[in-house]
Amino acid sequence: MSLRIVVCVKYVPDATGDRHFAEDLTTDRDAVDGLLSELDEYAVEQALQIADAADDAEITVLTVGPEDAKDALRKALSMGADKGVHVEDDDLHGTDVVGTSLVLAKAVEHVGYDLVLCGMASTDGTMGVLPAILAERLGVPQVTLLSEVAVADGTVTGRRDGDAASEQLQAQLPAVVSVTDQSGEARYPSFKGIMAAKKKPVESLDLSDLGIDADEVGLGGAWTKVEDAAKRPERTAGTIVKDEGEGGKQLAEFLVSQKFI
Amino acid sequence: MSVTFDNALLESEERRTLRASVAALGRRFGREYFTTAVREGRQTDELWQEAAKLGYLGVNLPEEYGGGGAGLSELAIVLEELGATGCPLLLLVVSPAICGTVIARFGTEEQKRRWLPGLADGTRRMAFGITEPDAGSNSHRITTTARRDGDTWVLTGRKVFVSGVDIADATLIVGRTEDARTGRLKPCLFVVERETPGFEFRHIPMELTAPEKQFQLFLDDVRLPADALVGDEDAGLLQLFAGLNPERVMTAAFSLGMGRYALQVAVEYARVRQVWKAPIGAHQAIAHPLAQARIDLELAGLMTRKAAFLYDAGDDMAAGEAANMAKYAAAEAGARAVDQAVHTLGGNGLTTEYGLASLLTASRVGRIAPVSREMILNFVCHHTLGLPRSY
Ligand SMILES: Cc1cc2nc3c(=O)[nH]c(=O)nc-3n(C[C@H](O)[C@H](O)[C@H](O)COP(=O)(O)OP(=O)(O)OC[C@H]3O[C@@H](n4cnc5c(N)ncnc54)[C@H](O)[C@@H]3O)c2cc1C
Ligand SMILES: Cc1cc2nc3c(=O)[nH]c(=O)nc-3n(C[C@H](O)[C@H](O)[C@H](O)COP(=O)(O)OP(=O)(O)OC[C@H]3O[C@@H](n4cnc5c(N)ncnc54)[C@H](O)[C@@H]3O)c2cc1C
Repeated sequence: MSLRIVVCVKYVPDATGDRHFAEDLTTDRDAVDGLLSELDEYAVEQALQIADAADDAEITVLTVGPEDAKDALRKALSMGADKGVHVEDDDLHGTDVVGTSLVLAKAVEHVGYDLVLCGMASTDGTMGVLPAILAERLGVPQVTLLSEVAVADGTVTGRRDGDAASEQLQAQLPAVVSVTDQSGEARYPSFKGIMAAKKKPVESLDLSDLGIDADEVGLGGAWTKVEDAAKRPERTAGTIVKDEGEGGKQLAEFLVSQKFI
Repeated sequence: MSVTFDNALLESEERRTLRASVAALGRRFGREYFTTAVREGRQTDELWQEAAKLGYLGVNLPEEYGGGGAGLSELAIVLEELGATGCPLLLLVVSPAICGTVIARFGTEEQKRRWLPGLADGTRRMAFGITEPDAGSNSHRITTTARRDGDTWVLTGRKVFVSGVDIADATLIVGRTEDARTGRLKPCLFVVERETPGFEFRHIPMELTAPEKQFQLFLDDVRLPADALVGDEDAGLLQLFAGLNPERVMTAAFSLGMGRYALQVAVEYARVRQVWKAPIGAHQAIAHPLAQARIDLELAGLMTRKAAFLYDAGDDMAAGEAANMAKYAAAEAGARAVDQAVHTLGGNGLTTEYGLASLLTASRVGRIAPVSREMILNFVCHHTLGLPRSY
């Protein structure tokens, strides 16, 4: 039977743009162009490699996000995924990670899956906990932060590199896996892939399709409340120490004055 | 050929994705990769192969022969975006754009099967030779002549400034044959494989920082099989123009890419370089010319897309005028952008480290080749404005 892979991909504001918060202290997603989170490209790449190695596999890319989040799906489809699922609903505005994981869990179940692949963290929220919560909600094993991953005979195996040691992990499918930016460079969309992407099906779902109540998600349903947000202070010019014989001493004095040493 | 007939002003989602993807690939290699290859006398083969694998090099060629089945619009995007990251692939101008187009449109089934799959997937390359020592701007004076001998052709002549002959499997040579009826010489196109006896090439040293080199060609009684002739012996001129319009559009894309690259380096520099209280980019004497460069590049880009659009729509006549105008506008915009970029960097504009100075010569190429600025102005004078000729 075909291996069903679902890759969760997030549409994020371009990190090179000038990012701001909106008045309700959520990320202002209209002010900057969005794109497929770079870290999720690694998950798509691993899905493509796993699918190549399997006799028969189908890759669904799934996103929860605004209208423009379709761009993230198209990018993943142009890389080679087979179909897309887009969960979009006005009531999703302000949803936190608990709510997002609920929506993703319902959507993953709706699609049907053997393997769910995620990135290590989004490049905007960067909590890095979503895959774990998602696995918990689905009631399946989680194998997170892998820098090497393979699937064979209904089992997923992989390596997680820690500071002190590398662990070899294994789980029975179905499972949730997240991969790191060390898992292998993501491919660029080929010209054929780009042309094919538009013809690939994208299913649009809203909260009612997934049987989720509006008050379970959105700002109201969020477990966390953002009280305040401040702009990062401008970077100051820094101090340049010219070495005219006393450079070392001046450097040490600076470090002492800043309480670094 | 399946052409995406989208608006030349606003690019389709596919074309925008193609731009972004090619740009991402180009950035991974970057200017440093390009200049290192030049310094070490290597070709930028890794980039060529990577772009080939992704199907970017043959986007314009028919799908049934391994191409992308799109058009010149897409191929111009590929070259412009690579150029904008500082690593253009010059042979895209000749191999898929001129040679691929001519063979796809006028070649025999056998010629298409022999050449197109390789040109499309980048495993084979073809150079293009038309310029002669005494026939640059005046291509009516081409003297390279083919004579029939049994069922072979014998080709003799000289060519000059032909790019990439050493790395091309063959060169498409513009020669002439004698019209059996009138005795007049008419142009026709021959595929000359690199190792053919009697075909020799000599490197012309140029002051250009580019991996692709230019060559002088010596063809002395080069014996070619009958099927070296591409297309119809009697429709040579038409076929030639079918290849030259894409060449102009691609030269425009080359200039646009280079201009955008130089402008980007200048803008980044102007943002941080501080001489007085504010960064130099705040002084309007520095800022305004950069804004003008941006506007000129944008306008030339629009004209380039129009020319490609007309070509892809099959209107060779209208494409001819548009392609000439686009090439002119892009070459001027590119050269001015480079000039202003160099100036913006002050002394650093001339250092090897910042690498802009060598673009001063490279950006002049678009003003000279494949047709000079003056010859385009002549064309517009005669063809568009109906003014009398001086020559
Ligand atoms: C109070 C509050 C309000 C918020 N309001 C909004 C809002 O209005 N709109 C909004 O978009 N975000 C909003 N967020 C952020 C959003 O909740 C989180 O980004 C999201 O829950 C996932 O957390 P993360 O990005 O840190 O995921 P991480 O745990 O860092 O992500 C890990 C992986 O999970 C997957 N993933 C994460 N998010 C998605 C997704 N949306 N679709 C598919 N896959 C995904 C990806 O594979 C990703 O690599 C809000 C957060 C808070 C605290
Ligand atoms: C980097 C580079 C790569 C090239 N690659 C190729 C290639 O791959 N294949 C190929 O076949 N050729 C190639 N060329 C050659 C190029 O196409 C010619 O250099 C170009 O056509 C000009 O011809 P020319 O050099 O003989 O100049 P000339 O024809 O000698 O012109 C000299 C000057 O006189 C001006 N002039 C001539 N006639 C007139 C007129 N009637 N009115 C006003 N001004 C006039 C010209 O504008 C020019 O400024 C390349 C050239 C360069 C520099």
